[in-house]
Amino acid sequence: MVWKVIALNSLLAAIYAFSVEKLPYITLVVTFIGVALRVMRWRSSPPDHEKIRMDPVESVKYVLLDVVLFRKTWRTDKAMWLALFLFHGSVAGIVFGHMRGFHIWSIHMFEAFGHAFAEFMVHTLPIYVGYVFIVTQVYFLVRRVMLENKQLTSMPNDYIALVLLLLKSIAGQGMRLVPPEGVPATLYNVVFIPRFVVLHLETIPNSHWFHIHIILTQLFIMYVPFSKFIHIITGVIAPAIYGSRRKEIDR
Amino acid sequence: MELDTCAHCALCTENCPAYNESKDPLHAPGVRSAMAVKLYDKKYNFLTKLFGKTEITEKDVEELSESAYHCTLCGRCMESCPFGFQTHELWSRIREIVADLGGTPINVARLGKMLDENMNPYGLDPDERLDWVDYTDLHEIPEEEQAEVAYFVGCTTAFKGANHDVAFSIASILNEVKEDWTVLGEDEWCCGNPSLISGDEHTAKEYALHNVEALESKGVKKVITGCAGCYRVFRFEYPKLLGREPKFEILHAVEYLRDVLVSGRLKVEPTDEKVIYHDPCELSRLGGVIEAPREALKYLTKEPLEFDENGIDVRCCGGGGLLQAVNNEMRLDIVTRRLTEAKEKGADILVSACPACKLAFTDGVRERGIEIEVLDLLELAAKRLGVL
Repeated sequence: MVWKVIALNSLLAAIYAFSVEKLPYITLVVTFIGVALRVMRWRSSPPDHEKIRMDPVESVKYVLLDVVLFRKTWRTDKAMWLALFLFHGSVAGIVFGHMRGFHIWSIHMFEAFGHAFAEFMVHTLPIYVGYVFIVTQVYFLVRRVMLENKQLTSMPNDYIALVLLLLKSIAGQGMRLVPPEGVPATLYNVVFIPRFVVLHLETIPNSHWFHIHIILTQLFIMYVPFSKFIHIITGVIAPAIYGSRRKEIDR
Repeated sequence: MELDTCAHCALCTENCPAYNESKDPLHAPGVRSAMAVKLYDKKYNFLTKLFGKTEITEKDVEELSESAYHCTLCGRCMESCPFGFQTHELWSRIREIVADLGGTPINVARLGKMLDENMNPYGLDPDERLDWVDYTDLHEIPEEEQAEVAYFVGCTTAFKGANHDVAFSIASILNEVKEDWTVLGEDEWCCGNPSLISGDEHTAKEYALHNVEALESKGVKKVITGCAGCYRVFRFEYPKLLGREPKFEILHAVEYLRDVLVSGRLKVEPTDEKVIYHDPCELSRLGGVIEAPREALKYLTKEPLEFDENGIDVRCCGGGGLLQAVNNEMRLDIVTRRLTEAKEKGADILVSACPACKLAFTDGVRERGIEIEVLDLLELAAKRLGVL
């Protein structure tokens, strides 16, 4: 029995070490290849009738209105707009929050508004944002299942991407909520890629949840170019090009 | 990139007039997009390239064709797409793919043949283009060598009896304001819209070149058309097809009407009847002409009414996208919804500014027994002028 536990712990330690030391490189390569394949695919499609001429002012306007504020969804479906806005707002908040771990900003940024406010911003608010993120994802997933074969036909990758995102979010939230176990002190600085991607942790997270989170996150990043989450990139490019190209203005 | 970006969110579906009538998943815009991607992947996907091409079955093509042509190309999905895709262009490109795969519906393919033979989609002899003059009180029509203004009649106005009075009304108004105008007569060819929306850009380009050269040779400064489809194609597609702007300005007849009413060159007494205006999709959402007809209407009726879904968010009447050629029942279902709403709003007259809309509305009135007078905005103007 003891041997089994030791063997399991050794296996987990090996997987966890792999997820920090090797997987980041694999993630980078796979993501790069995925993006390259996408670009090749777009280049292989028939050329557009019209030369793409972008008007920078119009492009920024359309990106702000359509991508940041979801203007069109606001006009057509207010409930969906709220879900979309909360989901994407929480994504923005979570990405921003993670930047602190990578020392792009620090808690001092909020200290000007008082210590209690700064504490709220970096320790309390993220937990609620995490819940919003998970709840909106569940909503989108349930909505998709309910509309499947009625109003939409999903590709397998639509679901794989959504489920992967949901699992990694649950693991991320679990990491905050489940008390930590004994974690090696070296994990205070998690060096994914030396001098390039280094995560600085202030508190020790629960090891299992933390590693599940980083493994799933890397799998998710690798999967983005092969899934509908490519809209993270193209969803900005498309309104910039097509919005700016739209000339049907009233005269 | 657009097809890859489409997240299959289905936010456009509830706004789609075709899907709303049939509730058939094949007719939902998001499903069309997914089908096109699947078909594309079968041919060009990375894995397909590695392991050899997967066969595109007859069923694949049939389904994509069914989806692509059960669409009025009204572009309403564009207004709810979070990514702002120009979906009417996207669906036209999918029709091109369908054409390449030999899946164009028989009736649409026939239409192409008729266009090839007679330069109009109705298969009628080009010398019948001015026959509408004989059916109206207009005794002669100018076919000048040179003129300031040209009236581009359009095939659906010239060849469809229900629209002859629209041509007569426009001609009468041009005469009333003593415009120096002309028509192309037999030399007028289809604008190319049916070719473009059935995936034949080559023919559309040929027609564009002919029409633009014929009009430019007359030295016209303004081209007026009463057809929303012709207007959109002249204004937005011709510059793309020809690689240059035509040397004349293109105006829809409602813009011209607005101008002459506002300037006082045309004076009319407004009617007491309640008039509701239906925006043709190709004129409003896809053409950008939204205020001009409303400004004109203020001079023609004391009681203008609006549909709930109007302007850029107009709900299609069902008359576009060659839907009539593949599923006339669906077209009538779509138009019935619009006619019913017009009645519920208390309108005496339903006006539009597109011959395809007028045909759809008159067919709806006749086939579904809804009592409401259907007119083109120019016909209403001619009536108020006392010439119709």
